[in-house]
Amino acid sequence: MMPSRRAFLGFGGGALAALLVPCRSVAAQVTVIEMRGTTRGERIWFSPQGLAVAAGTTIRFINRDPGNSHTATAYHPSLYGRMRRIPAAAMPWDSDFLLPGDMFEIKLSVPGVYDYYCIPHEMGGMVGRIVVGQPDDPGWEGPAADTGDVMPEALAALPSVEDVLASGRVERKPAA
Amino acid sequence: MKSPLPLLTMALALAVTPALAHDEKALMNAPPDAPYVQVSDVLPLPEFLPGLGTLFVNPDTLPAGPFLAYDHDGKLSATVYMTPLKALAGGTSYDGLGIGSHTVSSVDIYYNAGHPGVEEPHAHVVLFHDEGAKSRLAK
Repeated sequence: MMPSRRAFLGFGGGALAALLVPCRSVAAQVTVIEMRGTTRGERIWFSPQGLAVAAGTTIRFINRDPGNSHTATAYHPSLYGRMRRIPAAAMPWDSDFLLPGDMFEIKLSVPGVYDYYCIPHEMGGMVGRIVVGQPDDPGWEGPAADTGDVMPEALAALPSVEDVLASGRVERKPAA
Repeated sequence: MKSPLPLLTMALALAVTPALAHDEKALMNAPPDAPYVQVSDVLPLPEFLPGLGTLFVNPDTLPAGPFLAYDHDGKLSATVYMTPLKALAGGTSYDGLGIGSHTVSSVDIYYNAGHPGVEEPHAHVVLFHDEGAKSRLAK
């Protein structure tokens, strides 16, 4: 499927972000994060839920859930007034609702930790964390310390930065 | 001695009165008349939801519904209710809800983590209206 119009808009936003900061990686890399759900919607999640990538990587969100719509939305004051949980120099993004098969792309160039969520499913713990670069990269910004406006279900679902960096990909733990 | 038949007839008539509370035939085929709206027309959801079919709802009845579920041929196949768990635990009850058809062959109840329209974790209560309904709504 071709990227949707908003996917191109998202990519444009990412390109603008790239202009705002130095980008040390010039390779065009695309990494996919799928939006998944069980048939009856008992569980919904991003796959992987935690992901480590090099600066300059394009993230492609694809809705693979046949019975639901999802968003990938950065925690940022400019988006629904949420507290910032992405690097200060990074461009926030909101995919808008993606129907099954729809996709959205964003290029991440600022090193640091990016937390994002699905608007209708944050309460269900559908959140994700992307770690761009390494902690010793210039300008690196670690995870947001203030958790004041994040739901406990969402906080509990976020993988640690250490786990993400150690394995590169962290999948959501199966339901107990 | 009077025949008991008129009394019996009256009793039966009273017993079935709730079943005549609305015109079932008007809901048998999609689209149902206003105030019902197609869920996918007003919310970012697929037109046909696997397991639930094409849903219509009177917005005034949200979140519980009833949602009328139609198969690919537009036949009313199920009536669905969506009840937020937190509200139930807090003492909210959903009483006297409408029903699309008074013929019910089976009922499924299961957890749903949320979706546009009913974003809180909630229960789906699905009343299937004939034996083949579940398979027709499956996909």
